[in-house]
Amino acid sequence: MKKRITVLSTALLASTLLLSACGNNSDNNAGSANAGTSPSAAPAGDAAQLITASDLSKLPDTAKSRTDTIIVGLTDPSGAFTPYFQQSGYDGNVSSLLYTPLVTVDDKGLPIPGIAEKWDVSADNLTYTFHLRKDLKFSDGSPLTADDVAFTWTILNDKSYDGDSQVNTLHIKGSDAYKAGTATSIEGIKVIDPQTVSVTLEQPNASALTMLGSDVLSKAYYGKDYKQGQLDYMKKLSGSPLGNGPYKLEKFIPGQEVRMVANENYFAGKPKTEHFIYKTSEGDTWQYLETGEVDYASFSATKENIDKLKGLGFVNILPYTPSNYGYLQLNLKHPALQDKLVRQALTYGLDRQSIYVDASQGAGEVANIPSSKISWAYTEEGINPYKFDQEKAKELLDQAGWKVGAGGIREKDGKQLTIHYLGSKKPETDIFIAVAKEDYEALGIKFEPEVFADFNALVSKVEGGDYDMVSFSTPLLTDPADGLIQFVDGEIEGYNDPKFKELYDKGLATNDIEARKAVYKELFQYLNDELPIIYTSYKKSVYAYNGRIQNLSVSPFNGLAPSLPNWTLSDISQ
Amino acid sequence: MSTYITKRIVYMILILFAASFLIFCLYALTPGDFISGNIKLTPERKEELREIYGLNKPVIERYFTWMGNAFHGDFGYSLSQQKPVLTLFNQYIWNSFLLAIVSTFLTWLLAVVIGVVAAYKQYSWFDTLVMICVFAAMSIPSFFIGLFLIKMLAVDWKWLPPGGMMTTGSNATGIAYYKEVIHHMILPVIVMTLLGVGSLTRYFRSNMIDVIKQDYIRTARAKGMKERKVLFTHALRNALLPAITLVGFELPALFGGSLIIEKIFNWPGIGQLYMQSFSLRDYPLLMGFTLFIAILTVIGTLISDILYHVADPRVRL
Repeated sequence: MKKRITVLSTALLASTLLLSACGNNSDNNAGSANAGTSPSAAPAGDAAQLITASDLSKLPDTAKSRTDTIIVGLTDPSGAFTPYFQQSGYDGNVSSLLYTPLVTVDDKGLPIPGIAEKWDVSADNLTYTFHLRKDLKFSDGSPLTADDVAFTWTILNDKSYDGDSQVNTLHIKGSDAYKAGTATSIEGIKVIDPQTVSVTLEQPNASALTMLGSDVLSKAYYGKDYKQGQLDYMKKLSGSPLGNGPYKLEKFIPGQEVRMVANENYFAGKPKTEHFIYKTSEGDTWQYLETGEVDYASFSATKENIDKLKGLGFVNILPYTPSNYGYLQLNLKHPALQDKLVRQALTYGLDRQSIYVDASQGAGEVANIPSSKISWAYTEEGINPYKFDQEKAKELLDQAGWKVGAGGIREKDGKQLTIHYLGSKKPETDIFIAVAKEDYEALGIKFEPEVFADFNALVSKVEGGDYDMVSFSTPLLTDPADGLIQFVDGEIEGYNDPKFKELYDKGLATNDIEARKAVYKELFQYLNDELPIIYTSYKKSVYAYNGRIQNLSVSPFNGLAPSLPNWTLSDISQ
Repeated sequence: MSTYITKRIVYMILILFAASFLIFCLYALTPGDFISGNIKLTPERKEELREIYGLNKPVIERYFTWMGNAFHGDFGYSLSQQKPVLTLFNQYIWNSFLLAIVSTFLTWLLAVVIGVVAAYKQYSWFDTLVMICVFAAMSIPSFFIGLFLIKMLAVDWKWLPPGGMMTTGSNATGIAYYKEVIHHMILPVIVMTLLGVGSLTRYFRSNMIDVIKQDYIRTARAKGMKERKVLFTHALRNALLPAITLVGFELPALFGGSLIIEKIFNWPGIGQLYMQSFSLRDYPLLMGFTLFIAILTVIGTLISDILYHVADPRVRL
C-alpha cells in the first residue's frame, strides 16, 4: 500500500508540475514514474494555513450552477483502474477513490485504521493479524471478507504479476514456493475467520504493515478466472473496477473524463456529494479554474501564482507539502567522489539556497537529510545545514589532495577534477546548471552538464554508469525507510556501508515508533555527514479550490481520498 | 493500369516490411525502455519485469514475435494503458480525424479561393494584404495563437469553452451532443486552419500565376471568352493538378493527430496518446501506431498517383 500511496500522490504531484510547465513530455512521463525528478514540498508546520476566498460572488456561472458534482483536473487517466495492476500514477488517483485500504496513514505518515478495525503484530514482528470491520461490502453489495484479503496478497506473489506493488519483496513465508509453482497456496497467509486474516513474514520489516494493509480485491470478481501463473485476464477487468471506496466508477471517457458516483455501500456512509469527476486536463488548469470548469487545482507555491490565485477571489488557497525530497545522485565509482571530503566540498560549494529557494520565488526549501520534510522521523537536530561556503569547500578540496593546477582546474595524480552532470529538460535544470557551473568553476572543478529531453534515456545512461552527478527526486514517501531504500537496493551504485546497513535494519526491525525515531535520527545524522548523495530540496505547492467546497483537506500521503467523502458544496445563492 | 496497381501493391508490402523492421529497430535501440523510467522499482524487480515483458530478448526475436502476432490482427496490449492497442486507436483516432477533416476542408477551401483571387489580382492591394497575412500566420507559433485565443475568447469573454470535446459531466445525446462538440471544436479548428492556410495559399497563388501566363489562357481571352470561365474552368483546373500530390500526403495527417493543437485544447486525440507512449517507451502502441501511419502514407501516395492519372491522362502509369 505504501507504494501505491506513493503512486497516487506522485500523480497529484505530477499534475502540479504540469501546470507550470505547460506539459512538456518528460513531465508527462511523471505520471507513471518520475514525477519525482522534480521534487515538490512545503512545510506542513509553518505554512499550513488556509487563505479563504475573498469574494465568492466572482465565482463563474459554470461553477455556480453545479449542485451535486465536484470536478477536479487530472493529467492523464488511462482507464486501468485496478489497483496493483495499473502503470500510471494518474490511474492511481482514480483507484484511490474506488478502493479504501485496510490501513491508511495520517498526516505524519503513521498508520491508522482503514477498513481494518485494528491489527496485532506478534512479539517477533513477523506475524501481522488484521481484524476487519463488521459488515464490509464491495460497491456491488457483495461482502468483503478475510478471503478477499488473502486472495489479494496471494496474486501479488504470483510469478506472472507485473505491477509495481512491493508486497512481493516482503518475503511472506512460503511465497517463494508459490512463485516457483511448487505450492498451490502461500503458507504464511492464514484466514482465521471471515473477519480475521494473518500473514507471517520470514524477516521483520516495519513498512510491512502499510504495504500489506493496502487495497483489497474481491476474490469473487477478480479471482474467477485465476490460475496460478496466469494473471493476463486481469487486463480485461481493468476498465470495470469493483471496489469498496467512497465512489464507484460510472463512466470513463478516454482522454476526457472519469465520472464517479457515490457508493451507497461505503463503510463510513455514502459520501455527501453525489458525483465526482476527474477531468483530463493538461497544462491548462489555469483556464479551467478561471472559467469554473474545474473546482480544484494545484500550483507551484511561487509568489506570482499565489498572488494570481488571490486575485481570482473565489478560490480558497491551501499550502501543501508533498512527502519527498530532491537530491543529486553521485556516481560513487568515480574515484574523486568516493572521497567524503569531496562530496562535502561539492555540497558546501553549491548555492542551494539560490537554486531551490530564491529562483523559485520561495516555492522550495533546502534539504539536508534523506527524509521528507513532513515525516514523523524528520529532524534538524545535529544536522549540518551545509550553508553555502566556498572557502570551506576549497579547504576541503585541498585537504582531499585536489590542488589547483593548470588553467585553474584542480588536479590529483595527474587527473583533472571534472563533474559530468545529467539533468532532464525543464526550467529548474536550466537554473541549476547556470548556478552550479559558476559555483563549481569558482572552486576549480570542471562542470560538464548534459540535458536530456527524455527521462527514460537519462535513466538508461545512469544505469550504464556514464555520469558523475544526476538530479533526481524520490517518489512520494510514506515510511521513513522508503526514502532510504535506494541506499540498500543497489540503486546508488557503489554505496556499501556496513554501518548504514546496520542502522537501516535496526530501523525496520521494530514497530515501536519512538524507538524507530531514535534510530532514524542517528541514521540521518550519519547520512548528513557521509553524503552518499547530495540532498537538495523540498518543493512547496498550493492547492486552489472553489470557495464553495466545505470540509476539504489534502492528506500528504493519500491525497484527496480521505477527506473527499465529507466534501459538500455550500449554497451561495443566499 | 491494373498491372500497374498490382505492381504497386507488391512494392507497398515490401516497403512496409522494411519500414516496420526499421521502425522496430529504432525504437528498440533508443536508450531506455518501459521499465527504466519507473523509479519506484528496485533493480532486482526491474530485471524480473523485463523478463516478464520479454524486453531482455534480442531485438530480432522481439521483432518476429511482434510481426507474427500482428499478422493475426493482434497488435498486443499497451504496456502503460493495459488495453489492446487497437481498442486504444479506436478510442482516440476518430476524435483526431474529426478535427483534421474539418480544418483540412476549410483550409483547402480558403486557400483555393484566396490563392486564385490573389493571383488574378497580382500586386493589387488585396494581393499585398493576403501576402502579409499569410506570412503573419506562418510565422506565429501555433501554441501562441492557441493560447492567445483561449485567453481572449474563452477566459476573458467566455464565448467559447477553453478546451475539451464536451462539457464536463454533460449527458447530452443526439443533436444536443453534436452542438456541444461543434462548440468545442471552433477554437482548435480556427487555429489549425490559420496555420495550414498560409502555405497552401502561397502554393495555389504561384501555381495560378504560372498558369495565367500560359499561351492558352491568352488565346482563350483573345477569342473573347468570359474572364470567369477563363479563370475557373481553364486556369484553375490546370493550377490544381500539382495539388493532387498534396492530397495523398493529407491522408496520414488526417489520422495522425496534431500533438500541439490537441495538447493546447485538451482534445482527446491520438497525437497526445502517441507522444505519451513515446516518453514511456510503450513499444506495442508505438509500433502499432507508426506502422499504421506508414500504411496510410503508402496508400496515400498510391491514391494520389491514380488520381493524377484520372485528372491528367497524359500521365502514364
